[in-house]
Amino acid sequence: MAREDGRARRRGQGELEGQVLGALREADGPVTAAWVQERLGGDLAYTTVVTILTRLLAKDVVSRERHGRSFLWTPTADVARLAALRMRRLLDGERDREAVLASFVTALPPGDEQVLRALLDIPGADAGGTED
Amino acid sequence: MGVFVFLPLVLPLSAWPVARLAETRLHPRTATRLLTAVAVVMAVCSTLCLALLMVVGTAQLPGNPLPDGWSDPEVRAAVPHDEVAGRAAIPALAVVAAACARTLWRHRRVTRRAHRALAGVPGPTVAVLPDSTPYAYALPGGRGRIVVTTALLAGLAPAERRALFAHERAHLTARHHRHLLAAHLAARANPFLRPLRTAVVYTAERWADEEAARTVGDRRTVARAIGKAALLSPGTPVPTLAALAATGPVPRRVAALLAPAPVVRSWPSAFTSVGLAAWGAAAGALVSAMSSANSAVTLFLILHTATPL
Repeated sequence: MAREDGRARRRGQGELEGQVLGALREADGPVTAAWVQERLGGDLAYTTVVTILTRLLAKDVVSRERHGRSFLWTPTADVARLAALRMRRLLDGERDREAVLASFVTALPPGDEQVLRALLDIPGADAGGTED
Repeated sequence: MGVFVFLPLVLPLSAWPVARLAETRLHPRTATRLLTAVAVVMAVCSTLCLALLMVVGTAQLPGNPLPDGWSDPEVRAAVPHDEVAGRAAIPALAVVAAACARTLWRHRRVTRRAHRALAGVPGPTVAVLPDSTPYAYALPGGRGRIVVTTALLAGLAPAERRALFAHERAHLTARHHRHLLAAHLAARANPFLRPLRTAVVYTAERWADEEAARTVGDRRTVARAIGKAALLSPGTPVPTLAALAATGPVPRRVAALLAPAPVVRSWPSAFTSVGLAAWGAAAGALVSAMSSANSAVTLFLILHTATPL
């Protein structure tokens, strides 16, 4: 990931969540938030790291255990799982996403399913087939 | 300028039968380009005429910043029913501007959010997400990304997966999102252009389907991939405009792929229904452009003479 210092402020929450989770996954075992902060290059405030870790906990992609006066954090999912969660939230929340994301298929209205099954299950005579 | 100023506002109605014919008869690539171009021309002309009407309407409002001469009877005589049309044009243009701005803003927001969601996922183009909901998207911007869930991939045979990726790659390489965005904006500018937007959404998918069939080398595989993907997600409660059509777009796409490949013609003869569609669309756009140009020039000349010095 590109990590220019000037752009640090502008980095979105999603990107930061990915980076924090990525750092956790590079650790050998459970680590503290301070370890994550150091790992990320120190341009993030400690409280920001804790906030992001708490948010990841709510998404069920990290777990934590109490260790003395602080928490030790462990990743329970990978970056792809986190991306899937974020993508789902985006897809559920945006009603106008059709304008941006060309979907492979749209939802089937009732009745279309029969048409579709009929089209695919019954081989189309001799025509069509494999030749173009 | 007379009634010509109203013509581009209603001429998009002529595109309805044209859209229907083009999406079934023309090669999807030709249809997408033609329909997008027609939609854009008609939307620009319609908005221009709305702006002309708005100038006449604004000039009548007390305390407006326009030159006093612009509210002269000669200027007002240029627009039929100027007191109604002129005033109605002001909120109409505001609505158009707001709707287009919102569409653009949403487009940018969705793209940005999606890219951010995928940040950190390995792989240059394809992002495979572990998710129980089957979906696949081509995400424009940058080099473009293809988003597929494991649930969808699990439901497809290897050849069908290749068809899926070829389909999404075709969206990215041909930059279909630009056509889609243009058609969406056009539909915002003039609601009569909505059928054209629906048609462009469909023909863009068909275009990608045909590209996928060419890449995979088997039309039936692509048809099966589309059909299986659609059957994997039955009853997804996503109300789309396309759902209002009698037969949904998915069975039509599958049926088109099971039929022989469409022929690419340079420009069809005017004596077939295909030609009628293409020439009808071109003529409609041309008349729309000419009447709005005529109105613009006329109003400019009138306002020029009405302005002191």
